[in-house]
Amino acid sequence: MGRTLTPTPEAIEAAGPAARRGPLPHFLQALLSRREQLTPALMVAPAALFSVLMVGFPFGYAAYLALTDFRLASTVPAKFVGLANFARAFQDPVFHKALQVTLTIYVVALFLEVVLGTYAGILLGQKLRGIGPLRMLAFAPAVIPSVAVGLIFVQMYDPAQGLMNYLLKAAGAKPQPWLSDPRTVVPSIILVEVWQWTPFITLIVTGAMQSLPTEPFESALIDGASSFQILRYITLPLLRPAILVAAMLRTVDLMRIFDSIYIMTQGGPVNASMSLNVYAFTQGILFSQIGYASSVMLVLLCLVLLTSGLFGIIRARSAL
Amino acid sequence: MSGKAKRRAFALLALMVVLSMVLSACAAPTPVVVEKEKVVEKPVIQTVVVEKEKVVEKPVVQTVVIEITPTPVPEFNWKQRAGETITLGLSQHPWTNAILPYIPQFEELTGIKVQYQIFAEPQLRDKMLIALQAKSSEIDLWPSLKSREGLKYFRAGYYEPLNKYLEDPNLTPPGYNLDDFGAGPLGGETFDGQIVGIPTIVEGPAIFYRKDLFEKAGIEFPKTMDDLPKAAEACMKAAPEGTYGVTLRGLPPAVAYTLGPFIRNYGCDWRDEKGNSQLSSPNCQRAIQAYVDLAKNYGPPGFVTYSYPQSSALMASGQVCMEIESTNEISTILDPNTSQVIGKVGVKPYPPGPGGHDVPTVLQWGNSINAFSKHKEAAWLFMVWSTSPEMQARLQLKGIASPRASSWQTPEWKAKLVEGDPIWREWTETLQHIVEKGSGQVGPPAVEQPTVRQIVGDMVNAIYLGTMTLEEATKKADEQLNQLEH
Repeated sequence: MGRTLTPTPEAIEAAGPAARRGPLPHFLQALLSRREQLTPALMVAPAALFSVLMVGFPFGYAAYLALTDFRLASTVPAKFVGLANFARAFQDPVFHKALQVTLTIYVVALFLEVVLGTYAGILLGQKLRGIGPLRMLAFAPAVIPSVAVGLIFVQMYDPAQGLMNYLLKAAGAKPQPWLSDPRTVVPSIILVEVWQWTPFITLIVTGAMQSLPTEPFESALIDGASSFQILRYITLPLLRPAILVAAMLRTVDLMRIFDSIYIMTQGGPVNASMSLNVYAFTQGILFSQIGYASSVMLVLLCLVLLTSGLFGIIRARSAL
Repeated sequence: MSGKAKRRAFALLALMVVLSMVLSACAAPTPVVVEKEKVVEKPVIQTVVVEKEKVVEKPVVQTVVIEITPTPVPEFNWKQRAGETITLGLSQHPWTNAILPYIPQFEELTGIKVQYQIFAEPQLRDKMLIALQAKSSEIDLWPSLKSREGLKYFRAGYYEPLNKYLEDPNLTPPGYNLDDFGAGPLGGETFDGQIVGIPTIVEGPAIFYRKDLFEKAGIEFPKTMDDLPKAAEACMKAAPEGTYGVTLRGLPPAVAYTLGPFIRNYGCDWRDEKGNSQLSSPNCQRAIQAYVDLAKNYGPPGFVTYSYPQSSALMASGQVCMEIESTNEISTILDPNTSQVIGKVGVKPYPPGPGGHDVPTVLQWGNSINAFSKHKEAAWLFMVWSTSPEMQARLQLKGIASPRASSWQTPEWKAKLVEGDPIWREWTETLQHIVEKGSGQVGPPAVEQPTVRQIVGDMVNAIYLGTMTLEEATKKADEQLNQLEH
């Protein structure tokens, strides 16, 4: 018979109401006394206030603008137009094109990034000597600012003077129009995105690889599983949460794609690479139609919330 | 995970975070670095700054009030705003490259500290629009293209009217001589009688051509617009493999500038007498087709993304026979650090079209002062210093076409014409032609110029790429243009 570690009644008395009560299910925390609630609330207040202002205010103002015909540098005040901007968006062929381009880039780039990123992540997640510098090299593209990447690729993609066609010609292959042709501009942009952001997924997967338990692998080896079977039945399922997180983060960024497209093509040629974000920007800043631009942005926001919400559901399901 | 691996992973993550912060910080300010051009020659015209101003040349003869004793001209107080700081918003432009080396002289002269931010032209424009909308006082002075945004910004009250500064002898040095400016350029900076900018450079589209390749092909510079394709073809054949016949603008917001003279030289115009857009009329269609054909048959494949930076880079590296671009580009094409065609290039205006029509486009860039600036007088001092006859003459020698008549008559300029590269003579003649005969209508007249330019550019690209026929594209453009306020 051993001594249990339960506190004496005197100790509990001395420790205060929370100790007396013991741990509560969270929905009953609400019935805590006011004084106990105050301190945590005060601690969180600055951050909460900041979030409300930085997120809530711009969103509210954009929602307001979307219902007006506000124009930049206008001499007449803006007037309320209700849902006219949204109606215009849904009839606008360029808006539809932008939606199509955004979704195409999203699906293809995400697929490539996840596949290549997971592959690289598994490779780089191994405990080998000298893997450290290799990881740094692999992560490098994600650290470069997108604007710089865009500027460099624009030059490389120039069909007459750029590096890409120079290499293709040297290898005996046919030079491509890259950003100058509506048929090749979207793949060219996807290439840049995948080049830059696959390392992001690699980073997450590598981190996850290093935290995987070793026992399943050991028992699989003992049972005589092939490397493909290990990959398929052990590694990938164990990595699934990390991959889903990475995919969700990339989803938000890919939907909002702006920097590379704006720097490289400004949405051209003839709107072939126009994403929703770039379209809203050109309508708002270049053509001064802030009201319309705000409505496009709100549609984009709904799209982003929808897709990341979907991922959230998939994650919740797979966790069960 | 073992403790050692945990620490390593953490160190790696920390390094990534630091690296990304450092790299983003490095990339945060303006993404372009302008190389400071070495001022090779000692300023020939003295730091006029220090000398006493000579007495005004023209003696004032008053017929009503008889005053024979000339009034002594007070020395201009350059240091009246010493200690202030002004911020300039500058674009990547030959004028910027030319003026930057002289800025320390200004700071010494006036005691005003000058800070500047350099952006690509479209980005500076975006930034200024937002700053002005927000009534920000961040930028005191910036180059504004009046033919594009002038009317809109003037009506919105974004420009500081300059008439009162020009009339104040305490703020404008004697000898500044506003009459020296050409009527066209200065008129372009004026709205409703208010001068809202001082012109810094005049320019117009022209054709730079490789004299050596033309000679090799045995051809002369095209005499009419219809000869352009023939010249491009002949030159391409005679030139080394991989050389293009002609490079011209395809980037939508930039197209109208180089397309305008095509339209007018073929006997058409953006709008007819009633103000309706007539791009689908026969002559306009001929002009637009000619433009697209040149690009398609003899131009580089990246046409739809090309504006002056790409075209000039192609020309300077010797890969193209002709460049249809702004006269400004001479300094890029002849840049001693990067050009491979120095001594081989000439420049001429567009040849006349069928029927002898010859109406180039002329425009001026002008610096304006932010109406919300908190350092207007200090910015004004920079303005008069940088656009003075002496400074303008200095910049002229670097290839900045001056809006002042006097800059073209200085002994240094005349010497350059005689002794320097013959291209300077051709360039002078081209500019004279453009200034004399040019129209200021860069694009179809409208308040919303950016939208209008985009419509024109998209039309050209649609025809070039084959997504619309000539008929469809011009009709669509007409429809869109007629809906816009003009």
